[in-house]
Amino acid sequence: MPCELKEKERTGVINPIFTCQPAGAQYASIGIKDCIGIVHGGQGCVMFVRLWFSQHYKESFELASSSLHEDAAVFGGVHRVEEAVDVLLMRYPDVKIVPIITTCSTEVIGDDVDGVVTKLNEGLLKEKYAGREVHLIPIHTPSFKGSHVTGYDVAVEEIIKHFAKKDKAAKKLNLLTGWQNPGDVRTLKHLLTEMDVEANVIFDIEEFDAPLMPDGNHVAHGSTTMEDLENTGSAIGTIALNRYEVGKAAQYLENEFDIPTVIGPSPIGIRNTDTFLENVKKLTGKSIPASLVKERGIAIDAITDVAHMFLADKRVAIYGHPDLVIGLAEFCLDLEMKPVLLLLGDDNTKYGEDSRIKALQENVDYDMEIVTNADLWDLGDRLQNKGLKLDLILGHSKGRFIAMDNKVPLVRVGFPVFDRAGYHREATVGYEGAMLLAEKMANVWFTDMEYTQNKEWLLNMW
Amino acid sequence: MPYHEFECSKCIPERIKHAVDKGKDENLSDALPLGYLNTIPGTLSERGCAYCGAKHVIGTPMKDVIHLSHGPIGCTYDTWQTKRYISDNDNFQIKYTFASDMKEKHIVFGAEKVLKNNILEAFKAFPKIKRMTIYQTCASALIGDDIKAISQEVMDEMPDVDIFVCNSPGFAGPSQSGGHHKINIAWVNDKVGQVEPTITSDFVINYVGEYNIQGDQQIMQDYFKRMGIQILSTFTGNGSYDDLRAMHRAKLNVLECARSAEYICDELRKRYGIPRMDIDGFGFKSLSGSLRKIGLFFGIEDRAEAIIEEETKRWKPELDWYAARLKGKKICLWPGGSKLWHWAHVIHEEMGLEVVSVYTKFGHQGDMEKGVSRCEVGALAIDDPNELECIEAMYKLKPDVIVTGKRPGEVAKKIRVPYVNVHAYNNGPYKGFEGWVRLARDLYNAIYSPIHQLAFVDISKDEIETDKGFMTRQMFSDTQLDESIVNSKEMHEYTGEFDSLKRLRDREYPQYPMKGKQAAV
Repeated sequence: MPCELKEKERTGVINPIFTCQPAGAQYASIGIKDCIGIVHGGQGCVMFVRLWFSQHYKESFELASSSLHEDAAVFGGVHRVEEAVDVLLMRYPDVKIVPIITTCSTEVIGDDVDGVVTKLNEGLLKEKYAGREVHLIPIHTPSFKGSHVTGYDVAVEEIIKHFAKKDKAAKKLNLLTGWQNPGDVRTLKHLLTEMDVEANVIFDIEEFDAPLMPDGNHVAHGSTTMEDLENTGSAIGTIALNRYEVGKAAQYLENEFDIPTVIGPSPIGIRNTDTFLENVKKLTGKSIPASLVKERGIAIDAITDVAHMFLADKRVAIYGHPDLVIGLAEFCLDLEMKPVLLLLGDDNTKYGEDSRIKALQENVDYDMEIVTNADLWDLGDRLQNKGLKLDLILGHSKGRFIAMDNKVPLVRVGFPVFDRAGYHREATVGYEGAMLLAEKMANVWFTDMEYTQNKEWLLNMW
Repeated sequence: MPYHEFECSKCIPERIKHAVDKGKDENLSDALPLGYLNTIPGTLSERGCAYCGAKHVIGTPMKDVIHLSHGPIGCTYDTWQTKRYISDNDNFQIKYTFASDMKEKHIVFGAEKVLKNNILEAFKAFPKIKRMTIYQTCASALIGDDIKAISQEVMDEMPDVDIFVCNSPGFAGPSQSGGHHKINIAWVNDKVGQVEPTITSDFVINYVGEYNIQGDQQIMQDYFKRMGIQILSTFTGNGSYDDLRAMHRAKLNVLECARSAEYICDELRKRYGIPRMDIDGFGFKSLSGSLRKIGLFFGIEDRAEAIIEEETKRWKPELDWYAARLKGKKICLWPGGSKLWHWAHVIHEEMGLEVVSVYTKFGHQGDMEKGVSRCEVGALAIDDPNELECIEAMYKLKPDVIVTGKRPGEVAKKIRVPYVNVHAYNNGPYKGFEGWVRLARDLYNAIYSPIHQLAFVDISKDEIETDKGFMTRQMFSDTQLDESIVNSKEMHEYTGEFDSLKRLRDREYPQYPMKGKQAAV
């Protein structure tokens, strides 16, 4: 079989592609307005995740820690959660939503976070914060299970479960985006506006790209409100873009509220964006307007300029979030490129059942490998020792040294991108994203041609 | 009482003893904030954990070592590629990081077997690297894996490898400082004394508490080599595992960051009688004093003086150019630990900056004692700062620049205070004479950035100056300056290279014949 799905052979991880579950839950937490998550664990579990976000966005996001110290590790740490909630609420009067995110340490010592939430709801919140609406949401994200991708999935489900209500007046289309950049959210909103569809974007993180204003403090945060979250239960339909990041929440809404639901695909590339618009059309009855026909035309025109002339047959490796990697691989095939190696950073057993992966297995006419639980050392090893030949790598910044040391140009895409400026502003989804991605791949390839004197004269005329 | 009460922290009264305003004629014993106590949960403190203190701060700068964390991937991933501790062996320690990838089944059934597989795989993946440090994490500590036993098993099977185990889980102490202590003691207990070094000089030191951020260690190494001093080991930036096993043969421990590495110096003094000398590589005066002190210890003051003279002559005019333009500017000195006292006095004396606040995330009272005594009267000193307090302090103090870490720097940026990263540096290294000029240059560039000035303009309200197509830094900085300064022929802007280490790479050093050969062993 030319396309093989397999798990990495080694036990350990050298240069991980993914981080752990609590980081994903924290990414969900910052997408909500008036929300500060408390991570119940050691302080590093928050400090470094905040740093991770700030490296990608060049912004700071608010997240708190229960600051687990030695005594709590021995005798239990739920009292640290009680104190953290109180301190946080006293000092942040606007905070209404507090996800309480567990970690490996507090799951191993068996702290009863659900119990402490009940206790706080009955005690502290009633007594000290009567008249203030506060929602404490336990989110179980032990670090030794899944990855930040599943952590995000779990957190979105718990948050939706907590808030979704049936008979709200607003009848919108739920758009569960999954782990996106502000540029993606802006593009998705634009597509829906063009379709004249009122959407409830979960989470609306466009404001993660926060301004530096002449007055006051503008801390970057998401804009999804409590009301938006409640409205998810009364929607006319749900589109969940990234199966592995918001599939659970979409499934819950479908089961609980009978909301017509489409899960996937991520609208990466022209074809997947077409599918997305078709799904929107089906769920809302709205038609696809001429403006989008034109927008699509501009993208196809631009892509035609670079695809068969430059990108065709270029061999690429792709690593990162599963929905992103699969979407990029599909798009690369449309661009006549050859994705030869897909690296997925966790051991999700569902990958084998994914219809998109099955389609690759059935139709790809050259050797392709899809490795789960993969790490970046594997990529370097294949390049150095196993005869892997690549023209481009698509992935996030953590692979920069593997790419540089092996002299394969890296097109930064995914999360985090900290070694290029402003990439979070650029879309990877929609027609715009497709166009930008194709052009970015071409431009990175062009630069490499010039600096390695690899037919650099080719672009002497174009 | 000199305690400083933050509006935002009135509701948590235990915070009050963590901040003081340094008053005139006040006794330090009145004005010393508490330090190194448990963090108050939910404050948005800036502290990290003891795992990162051990692994990220001290362990990983060792350059020829496989750094393996025994736990889930997060600890490894999160601390990877977040600092700039470079090395002269192609940055192996920056490029590669290792996790045993502990999963749920291992939590239930133990992860010792999986750890052993990991160790073997890692050595196989990098056959030229024969040294490894294994870091315990919260998860492996709580399930009680015996990492040392597994390591010993591997060492018995593979005699050419050596493994160091650092048991410092994230929860071990109020901050990263707990981890500093644990790895210091573990190293001196388990590894020092195992290797006998080749002594090539009469003057042999360990350079301790130096992490080679952007090349700091290499800058200082250059001075030591010019003095004919043999650096047996550096703990740990650009340091080599086996060199550090030979620490017991030094004649002097030269200690830079006393916060993170005084423990090992004190142990080496106790166990091997090696004296500890605290030095300071930041600032012309402190650095000159430090080199002189070392010279004096070994009886080679003349060599130190020659370097001081040469370097001062080369770089002082450039420092002075910046100092003239930084004079009177207000700075919040908000590093992690020891820079609070390394810098508090010298940035005032040598750059003319007014230190309006000092803070420390993981320092102890001793650090505050030094920092508070060295900074200006009126300065606000904060222990274990949290986000709201920092914002309140910045609004109140209106600093012209703050020096801090990356993420807190983003907070400052939003309230229109420029920041310079002093953990990873903007354009370092900052140690050494040239480095100090580079810091002055970075501070100047931050404060007088034309874009920064534009950030204050509200185009909806303010009058817009339509006659200006551009502004330069000097158009801002030089307007208030005396003409003699502006027109000075001596002072000038920084003239060094983007990479100031480049010229050190092929440098040849004087060879001084050894006198007392037997005395060295």
